[in-house]
Amino acid sequence: MTSLGSQGSSSSSSTEYVVRVPKNTNKKYSIMAFNAGDKVSCSTWTQARMERDMSNRRIYGEEETQEGAAGSEFGKKQREEARRKKYGIITKEFKVEDQPWILKVNGKAGRRFKGIKKGGVTENASYYIFTQSADGAFEAFPVHAWYNFTPQAKHRTLTAEEAEEEWGRRNKVVNHFSIMLQRRLREQERGGGDEDEEEGEKGAKKKKKGGRGGDLRIHDLEEDLEMSSDESDGSNGDDDEAKAKAKKEKGAKGKGKKKKKKGSDLEGFEDSDDGDFEGLEVDYMSDESSSEEEEPEKTKPNKGEDVPKGIDEMSESEEESEEETKNEEENKEEEEEEDGKKTPVQVEKKKKKDSSGESDSSEDSDIEGEAASALFMVKKRTPPKRGGGRGSAGSSRTGSRPGTPSIDNAATSNTLRAAASKLEQGKRQTTVPSSETPAAKRLKMEPSPQSSSGKSTPQPASGKSTPSASDVLLTEDAVRRYLIRKPMTTKDLLKKFQTKRTGLSSEQTVNVLAQILKRLNPERKNINDKMHFYLTE
Amino acid sequence: MSDKGHDVDLTRAKQNTGVWLVKVPKYLSQQWAKASGRGEVGKLKIGKAQGKTVVSFNLNEELTVVDCSGEKISSVRSPREHPFTMQTVGGQTLAVFTESSDKIALEGMVVQRAECRPAVSESYMKLKKLQIEESTKPLRFSQRLEKAITTNYKPVSNHSHNLEYEKRKKEEGKRARADKQKVLEMLFSAFEKHQFYNIRDLVDITKQPVIYLKEILREIGVYNSRGPHKSTWELKPEYRHYQEGQEEEKEAAKME
Repeated sequence: MTSLGSQGSSSSSSTEYVVRVPKNTNKKYSIMAFNAGDKVSCSTWTQARMERDMSNRRIYGEEETQEGAAGSEFGKKQREEARRKKYGIITKEFKVEDQPWILKVNGKAGRRFKGIKKGGVTENASYYIFTQSADGAFEAFPVHAWYNFTPQAKHRTLTAEEAEEEWGRRNKVVNHFSIMLQRRLREQERGGGDEDEEEGEKGAKKKKKGGRGGDLRIHDLEEDLEMSSDESDGSNGDDDEAKAKAKKEKGAKGKGKKKKKKGSDLEGFEDSDDGDFEGLEVDYMSDESSSEEEEPEKTKPNKGEDVPKGIDEMSESEEESEEETKNEEENKEEEEEEDGKKTPVQVEKKKKKDSSGESDSSEDSDIEGEAASALFMVKKRTPPKRGGGRGSAGSSRTGSRPGTPSIDNAATSNTLRAAASKLEQGKRQTTVPSSETPAAKRLKMEPSPQSSSGKSTPQPASGKSTPSASDVLLTEDAVRRYLIRKPMTTKDLLKKFQTKRTGLSSEQTVNVLAQILKRLNPERKNINDKMHFYLTE
Repeated sequence: MSDKGHDVDLTRAKQNTGVWLVKVPKYLSQQWAKASGRGEVGKLKIGKAQGKTVVSFNLNEELTVVDCSGEKISSVRSPREHPFTMQTVGGQTLAVFTESSDKIALEGMVVQRAECRPAVSESYMKLKKLQIEESTKPLRFSQRLEKAITTNYKPVSNHSHNLEYEKRKKEEGKRARADKQKVLEMLFSAFEKHQFYNIRDLVDITKQPVIYLKEILREIGVYNSRGPHKSTWELKPEYRHYQEGQEEEKEAAKME
């Protein structure tokens, strides 16, 4: 049926086409709907792959323990079935037809979409696809199903629990970029050892950039709560460092900048609610007016991490829009910065090989990358101390600076650096002179070539410092340090050298610790019915 | 049964074929399903009137006969004229893909959306009335019976089901105590299959009287009175070895 000529009805010209509804098709037509905002253009696709998403199968499958063998009962299935019938429990079947589609475009590096079936499409009206065939007639095919396709994020996102955690920490955390970094770090560690969420938790609390950890030692950190006995600040500091390292990743990004100021004073408070810190006067903290300065500073360091973020797929990890602007600012600033340290890669290199307690130094190196701009006075945390950030075991980073926000930075850089180095072993580890921009008023920028890896912690100008120790080594020195400071039980010691941080398995840790104790031969004292070890210098 | 992913055939997509997505009323699609031959259902008229595109669909004569359940037949006809309302694709990018038994292909993009509306006419109103009548009928309804049903629940001296049961029981007879060794073998092989057994099931399997069986079980097994496998018997730990070579071990343990 070719199209007829114009019918010539009234003043309009029209053409007639025959409409056919082919009966023989074995092809089922479905609609793939994309949101216009996603800017999907099928013509740009070179290759696409589609498959059903079977991840819901186990919910319906209800695979119980396998038949036979241990743990099974005779006639269990029949009994279960009878029970379900009795109570009228009807489980829905797992229909393959209704499962979502997973569409992968352009291979591994391309986009991923998930297509969820839209219900109720064929109930009251039918959709038909009219295509024009070669002979000018229209062919109509009924639409079998409608799937709404949404793009899937490739970057890592936080789970609900983690998001809750982060939300609780949002006042304390300055460096948002490190959230994802720390998460990644945690995942890596988890791959090797046990999970230790606490770390993050503790770290989170301490995350505040300002005066975290050892420097301020204003109060005993929450870690104390976990110790069997009271801890001195010193031990806190150590803990902090260790934790800070872990936390560094998590929290410290920009956000904390302001909080950092507050944070440093308020360390040791457990969860801080929003209104808690409002009237507090803090020392060494720049007042609000300078917060703007810090903002850009923060962004700068953030920016430094931006790039790594991109690499780390953290670019979208920022939850607040603030972050985005910060990122932009940072990006701009990054250009300004001359320091090569602020390589975004720094974030990745955070992983320090030998992590000692110095969170500070590591942090410093991390942070310094960015803060080159004159806006921020980056407080250079005694980079020289760190020298490579790693090595000085026992040098109390904190000790050197009493509660200056920069300490935080250092701490943060430590943590960040530690985290980065952990993430990628083998990357340059030397600390990068980090231009930390502590929340504190003035940061003097001292680029110190701390991390040779040239990592630059894109720390948000201030308050980013999350004091965190980089990897904690289970060394005799470390143990001696602890025991000198105060008596500890073996349990406490073990807590100090958490498997996550040291990278050893729990068994190994126990063995090594036992050996060290043998060597040290500490004195014993019974406190609260528990055997404590201590050393006297 | 699940396809392990198909490469989507993108040939049509590359040609940028455009299709129309048309929403068609249910009765019309039913009529279309009745089309014969090559599937011609009607004619589509596309024209321009006063600058606007006017699209209308005209249903073929033979397809206007409406099947309706019940007595009325062919008194109602579906309308023939169906103007199309054109809509934009707008906030969605719609693509069409097809699934056949072995492959998935992208057919094209939707360039125009339309709704097929019936031209309101007398016959359409009648059709709608019919539809409404049908849909308002409840699925379940009460029906009055002329005669009461007397074939159920007649009193019986002994039910047939009962008779069968008794006959079966007689045939089986009382369970006899078999050799202890044999019973043990049966038990062990049963416990090889499952770890936990109810006493009833064991009685069925071994066909032994309960008391005798319980004695034997007390020797080699233990009774779980609580826990996830409540009121079940399982083998004693020394007899238990749920791996290969159970038999020998059980035998060895038994000998002790």
